[in-house]
Amino acid sequence: MRHRVIFQPSGRRGEVEDGKTLREAAIELGVGIEQVCGGNRVCGKCKVQIQEGYFAKFDVRSSMKNLSPMSEEELRHLKDGEVENNFRLACAARIHGDVLVFVPEESRVGGQIVRKAAGEISVELDPAVRKYYVELPRPSLEDPEGDYERLLRALKEQHGLENLSIDYPALKALPQVLREGKWKVTVAVWQGREIIKVEPGYNERTLGIAFDVGTTTVVGYLTDISTGEVLAIDSMMNPQVSFGEDVMARITYAMEHEDGLRRMHEAIIGGINKIVSNLCEKAKVSSDEILELVLVGNTAMHHIYLNIYPEYLGVSPFTPALHRSIDVKARDLKIKAAPGANVHVLPIEAGFVGADNMGVVVALEPEKKDEVHLIIDIGTNGEIVLGNKEKLLSTSCATGPAFEGAQITHGMRAAPGAIERVRIDPETKEPRYKVIGKEEWSDEVKSEARGICGSGIIEVVAEMFKAGIIKNSGVFNMKLETPRLRRGENNQPEYVLAWAEETAIGKDITVTQSDVRAVQLAKGALYTGCKILMKRYGVSEVDRVVLAGAFGSYIDKEASMVIGMFPDCDLSKVVAVGNAAGDGARIALLNRRKREEANRVARRIKYIELTVDPDFQTEFMQAMYFPHMKDKFPHIQHILDRIPK
Amino acid sequence: MAEKEQLLEEMRKAVIEFDEDRVKELANRWIELGYDANEAIFEGLAAGMEVVGELFAKNEYFVPEVLMCADALYAGLDILRPHIKAEDKTETKGVVVIGTVEGDVHDIGKNLVKLMFEVAGFEVHDLGKDVPLEKFVEEQLRTDADLVCLSAMMTTTMPGMKKVIEMLRERNPNVKIMIGGAPVSEKTVEMYGADATGKDAASALEEAIKMVSSLREMKRRKEI
Repeated sequence: MRHRVIFQPSGRRGEVEDGKTLREAAIELGVGIEQVCGGNRVCGKCKVQIQEGYFAKFDVRSSMKNLSPMSEEELRHLKDGEVENNFRLACAARIHGDVLVFVPEESRVGGQIVRKAAGEISVELDPAVRKYYVELPRPSLEDPEGDYERLLRALKEQHGLENLSIDYPALKALPQVLREGKWKVTVAVWQGREIIKVEPGYNERTLGIAFDVGTTTVVGYLTDISTGEVLAIDSMMNPQVSFGEDVMARITYAMEHEDGLRRMHEAIIGGINKIVSNLCEKAKVSSDEILELVLVGNTAMHHIYLNIYPEYLGVSPFTPALHRSIDVKARDLKIKAAPGANVHVLPIEAGFVGADNMGVVVALEPEKKDEVHLIIDIGTNGEIVLGNKEKLLSTSCATGPAFEGAQITHGMRAAPGAIERVRIDPETKEPRYKVIGKEEWSDEVKSEARGICGSGIIEVVAEMFKAGIIKNSGVFNMKLETPRLRRGENNQPEYVLAWAEETAIGKDITVTQSDVRAVQLAKGALYTGCKILMKRYGVSEVDRVVLAGAFGSYIDKEASMVIGMFPDCDLSKVVAVGNAAGDGARIALLNRRKREEANRVARRIKYIELTVDPDFQTEFMQAMYFPHMKDKFPHIQHILDRIPK
Repeated sequence: MAEKEQLLEEMRKAVIEFDEDRVKELANRWIELGYDANEAIFEGLAAGMEVVGELFAKNEYFVPEVLMCADALYAGLDILRPHIKAEDKTETKGVVVIGTVEGDVHDIGKNLVKLMFEVAGFEVHDLGKDVPLEKFVEEQLRTDADLVCLSAMMTTTMPGMKKVIEMLRERNPNVKIMIGGAPVSEKTVEMYGADATGKDAASALEEAIKMVSSLREMKRRKEI
């Protein structure tokens, strides 16, 4: 009897013999789980969490009941709350049915490399929260005016501030704070209209956090919003990954489980609070000092972090609950910050083009440029904006998780041991490659590769095409004489990128026909999105291609054009801008007028639904070819000309 | 006779090689020579498409090639159909209602399955995409279809299929129901109470033929 086991967030899955432990299953499926004691139930490092429920995407009904009963040893290692939250020790729990297992960050071997650093941004400082220092006259029997009125009077006289209100928690603390500060206090005012915090003495430091909530990764930038300085950055895997890899899976989870939305909402808020704590610890500040937050995320993330039911986003006509930006008190979302802190959420466009994409637009300002920009944010969901100051169009396309290394036979996330660079000799068809975590290439050192990450997938497919191993239709050329080309499982053609002895997993790392097909679907969807927007805009070529998103910075521009991920363009005009969504969030944190602008621009961007375009099927079909069935690529023609026939 | 066989062979080849112009040329030649249009459709075009199905199953052809083959096939059908003899027209393998469920706007997979049914000689009523769930029931009753095929590409729209199945079963317990789409598996069939699924268009057709013939058998017995 065999049972289906899925490990998240790696997405590795397979069938495992009844009675094996989760640890044994992890080893079989190539999932790295900490095991300091070697599986002897001593160290307690291999904690994993079992997800309950039916997961349509994997067609698995996962339950704690499908594991052996909780053992004494496990109870000794599990902390309060962990037992209730379905934590188990991987070395102790035996498999007697289908399970979906989440491996938390702490239990993972070789944490993911999160590629979301803070880039330079240039923005005028005009934050939503400003601090004002005031000295108040002490009250006396002659002047017994109330504390709040006294404060308002001082703010008006010393700073010209009028029509202010006060947030309730700030009011509650006011009498003590004024006296503790000996009538000298610093007042934080939000949007020039609401007093959100009063602190004793002089303190000009004003802290805020910009959050980019990605489907897979969440990153926070702790910033002094009075200077713009980034004090600390922290990131983590989105804890919702255990509920589903992509936005559709998460929406489905909310639809099919009564408390699904609540659980995912609590998971992401828990993640955000973990980042808040880490940031505060790194910068040695208190979370009480955080007065303003900005959140960006795609439409599904947006609804879930706001605890709004997301079903209608997931079915045509894909209507969001709202488009415009909103402000919510951090305390209402239970985000750890000053009691009066505000959370600003950027507007969303349509479909899955959410606040994260508005972040990209805020950071890049295509609406002010002459050049026609094609901005592609490659993630689990591809989001595209095309245009310039004349007009702006946007769309989203389901690229699927192939570019993140999921649904690829030997795919993995960008972590140590992942193959990220590949070159194939067009004559001998022999590859050389480089893995994350090693400086040398595979011909200089034993690679100890574990799998292939997203950027590696793109490169290996591009190199296979350039070397004539796959044809432009994606089919393998089985006539080539090389031991690396063979038929594997199900008689499926495959190319051996790394022989078992070079790897850390003890088996050949291959690229199969299905893997190539997955890449064709993903890149075809992206190209189709670009092409249909260009057609609607009325241009046959673009002036500039901007690759946004962390992934865009790591893929090889030439390789991605060779496989036809986007239309032809001068390679020097193809630029990667890193995590533009995060940059946009930081900009909105530092400048409140940018928030207004974002609302205006969001209304101007016209959303195009691809699948209803009459040419969609034809365009998609043609775009699945390498680089394309019909479209020309003059800028890389010299490379295409060299491909062996 | 030799020429007729050769024309059919070339027609099959042209479909497999998705040479639309060549298919048109051959179909016109066939009509000029006064041969039976139905024979060309089944022995030429459909037989070619069967090979395409096999190539797809073997992973040698992918969606683009199958779609191009389909275009070639439809080009031939357009020429041959008006010449089908009246007595052949009534002879269909079965009546099918097909569509993508409400909320879902993906139809490439559905179109491939529809194509397979058409070449196999089914009468197909295509409701298109984003079809309101009740519409499937109405159309089944209107056409007295033997088979209803539901497609969903997204996990978010998949549950809609379950609702249609419940409504259909209530009105007409004998109708056969097939479901398909990326997130659909054998387990979904069981959970939703459908009759079958196929992993691709060719196996969907195979399943459908089995179901329809068993349904016909049942009806016949009842009549006796």
